[in-house]
Amino acid sequence: MKRWMMIGCAALVALAAIAQTQGCMKRVSGASGSAAQRVYVKPGEHDAYYAFLSGGHHGNIYVYGMPSCRHITTIPVFTPEPAVGYGVDEESKAMLKGFTWGDAHHPGLSETDGDYDGRWLFINDMPNARIARIDLHDFKTRQIFGPIPNLSAAHACPFPTPNTEYVFAASRFSAPVPLDRYVRAADYQKEFRGIIAGIKVDPKDGTMSMGFEILMPPYNYDLADAGKGPSHGWEFFTCYNSEMAYDSLELKASQNEMDYIAAVDWRAAQKAVDEGHAKTVGGAPVLDPAAVKGVVYLFPVPKSPHGVDVDPTGQYVCAAGKLQAEVSVYSFAKIKAAIDAGRFDGERMGVPVLPYEDVVEAKVPVGLGPLHTQFDDKGYAYTSLFLDSQIAKWKVGPPWAVVDKIDVYYSIGHLMASEGDTRHPTGEYVVALDKLSKDRYLNVGPTHPEGAQLIDLRGPKMELLYDFPTYLEPHYAQMIRAEKLHPITVYPLDQNTKPYAIKRAEDARIERKGRRVDVYMLVIRTHFTPDIVRVNQGDDVYFHVTNLEQDDDIAHGFGILWSSKNMQIEPGETKTMYWKAERVGINPFYCSNFCSALHQEMQGYIEVAPAGTPVAAVQRPDPAQVAEVAAELANE
Amino acid sequence: MTRYLFGSFAAAQRQLIVVAAVLLLPVFFLPMLPIWHLYMVAPQYPEGLSLHIFTNTIRGDLDKINLLNHYVGMHAITPRDFREFAYMPQALTLFGVAALAAALLGRRWLAIAGWLAFTGFAVLMFNDYVHWLYRYGHDLDPRAAIKLQAFTPPVIGYQKMANFRVWSFPGIGTWLLGIAWLLGPAILWLERRAPAADDEDAPKAHDAA
Repeated sequence: MKRWMMIGCAALVALAAIAQTQGCMKRVSGASGSAAQRVYVKPGEHDAYYAFLSGGHHGNIYVYGMPSCRHITTIPVFTPEPAVGYGVDEESKAMLKGFTWGDAHHPGLSETDGDYDGRWLFINDMPNARIARIDLHDFKTRQIFGPIPNLSAAHACPFPTPNTEYVFAASRFSAPVPLDRYVRAADYQKEFRGIIAGIKVDPKDGTMSMGFEILMPPYNYDLADAGKGPSHGWEFFTCYNSEMAYDSLELKASQNEMDYIAAVDWRAAQKAVDEGHAKTVGGAPVLDPAAVKGVVYLFPVPKSPHGVDVDPTGQYVCAAGKLQAEVSVYSFAKIKAAIDAGRFDGERMGVPVLPYEDVVEAKVPVGLGPLHTQFDDKGYAYTSLFLDSQIAKWKVGPPWAVVDKIDVYYSIGHLMASEGDTRHPTGEYVVALDKLSKDRYLNVGPTHPEGAQLIDLRGPKMELLYDFPTYLEPHYAQMIRAEKLHPITVYPLDQNTKPYAIKRAEDARIERKGRRVDVYMLVIRTHFTPDIVRVNQGDDVYFHVTNLEQDDDIAHGFGILWSSKNMQIEPGETKTMYWKAERVGINPFYCSNFCSALHQEMQGYIEVAPAGTPVAAVQRPDPAQVAEVAAELANE
Repeated sequence: MTRYLFGSFAAAQRQLIVVAAVLLLPVFFLPMLPIWHLYMVAPQYPEGLSLHIFTNTIRGDLDKINLLNHYVGMHAITPRDFREFAYMPQALTLFGVAALAAALLGRRWLAIAGWLAFTGFAVLMFNDYVHWLYRYGHDLDPRAAIKLQAFTPPVIGYQKMANFRVWSFPGIGTWLLGIAWLLGPAILWLERRAPAADDEDAPKAHDAA
């Protein structure tokens, strides 16, 4: 018996060893070979990473596969997408609150213990101060929080904390607080203020709710990052325009040698709100640092800093002064020591300022126009250089020196390393997100695509693997190992508890209450039930469409002729679409999403009778039709 | 001959009959082992669609298959349509009990009668299964969108049907039933010198009775 167990154990160990070597071999083979081999993903095979690129002023998210750089899908977020009915069906329409434009900048994956957990993706809409949460279990936008009160342009946003306790937003524009006050721009210093907002995230379902706001000096808040490890509990925000200029910023806001990073102790801020130290302004609990101490500090950063990035260990805060040639590295231990010792160099509107020399750790001469920094798993940092159109690789720690540089095409803004802003970057790739593409692709006229480049980080030198164009305009991005995500492929029908869902042919019907008409419709290959809908002119018609399919990729569309009304209903889903019966006559509708061999036959008619024509309170489809559909659904 | 039939088995053969009964157990008593599979692959279904037939039900991608079948006017496949599922587990239970009884009593006639009945039942059920396949492929709704020539899906083995490649093969349940069935002739072969042994055993058996 003992011997058998020994043999069994030995076999298990051997199996594990084989599995390990095979895993290693995969890795190694990925790093060797030509650039073409390294980005080639065979037909039918999958990429190793999901990359989420912000869609910029499209207001959406582009999903790419890496290393193939293939565009897989686009997730509509802040702007309507009529193809799938986003912003058309009642639920998403309510979420958009009438906005048809957003400018999405910084996707932020949810984290647990400082690493991506693959649950949600947050993204900001800068101009309208909104934050959206995309559920990665179905890649759908599920909440849009905001407009955040008092806050003008959420650029430093959302940059989640290590356990997704908070997402943040800070005002790019200072403005009067509350916003609905008429003042002159000339009264800027007296009347305008910045706002830093902490938005709480429910740990179970990701629901965002207002946590706190902090009233800040009227600077322009730019980017943010969360502390991790030893700096957990803090969020860092860069700002420029400490000159407090309100016009000709190009000149006037570039005069000071030093601007600031604001360091927010978000646990202290929440505690202050919970203890009642906040004033309610514009519906949000606002803390004034002049009255409530210990919540926020400033420390100087040279020359209009842009990006701020905390290294994987959480010890260093790296800020790039975009008008100088250095990355300034601050030690969190020194920041903490200065705060604890109360060593302040005065205050700005109630916010204590830490002395620069007391907190700075190193200055790394990276090159011209440093903007953002990402990290790998070997102790190196990668900083994008806008003016030099390069990425600089440098050592985090002594001698704080650049070890490699690579050209990018052209004028790089953000860069994104594989899991490169977490506690455990994978160190495999970085994607350069370029602001200009100029001559890199076939000429399509004056509106150039944006450029992006995949760069291999696995060797001693960075190596350019692939160029790919993107539509306007990714800013920041996130890259997560594919095995961390497990999206569904259909919505299980038995979990569909939508109030207007129907699951049996016998329940298909048209109900009328006054001028409101509710159409309970089901779709399954290849018909609508009912497919003849009788209404009167002037009726408010709500189509509640349930897709009874449970097969992969069998989505149906519901588009009405002579209208802007169309939506896609995924397998197992119920969606509601409103349509006003404006014109007497026959108004056809059809399946707008190719579904099957008889897709062209999938259609129906709305009969619009003159107003006041008598119609039954409940109409049901032809019993023969119902029986036929019921027979088809016999197994449901 | 009569003496042979009314004779009893040696201990080793009795154990083999118990084995046969035990083999039948998971197939009928807890219908957890499938007796037949149909596996279908099409260009747009590279992952394949499966039907798994048990003694008391059909599982697998029924809904997906029925949805596709409605285009050609095939009847929806639903477990409710099969009376067989109501008696098949019970019938097999009976054979299992018979085998156990034969093992306990050691009576050759009981074992042989049970084996013959089991064989007959298997032939009937296989015939029934072929009939069902024929019916599904022939009783097509004349109003169907796609009009097919009547067909019979493969009873066993491979067949190409429209855009589907179809494999049909017995499941582990049937393999177990087959082994149980084969134990019949195997025991008889082991017993080929039995009459001689019987003469010695017979008095003991009478004493026990």
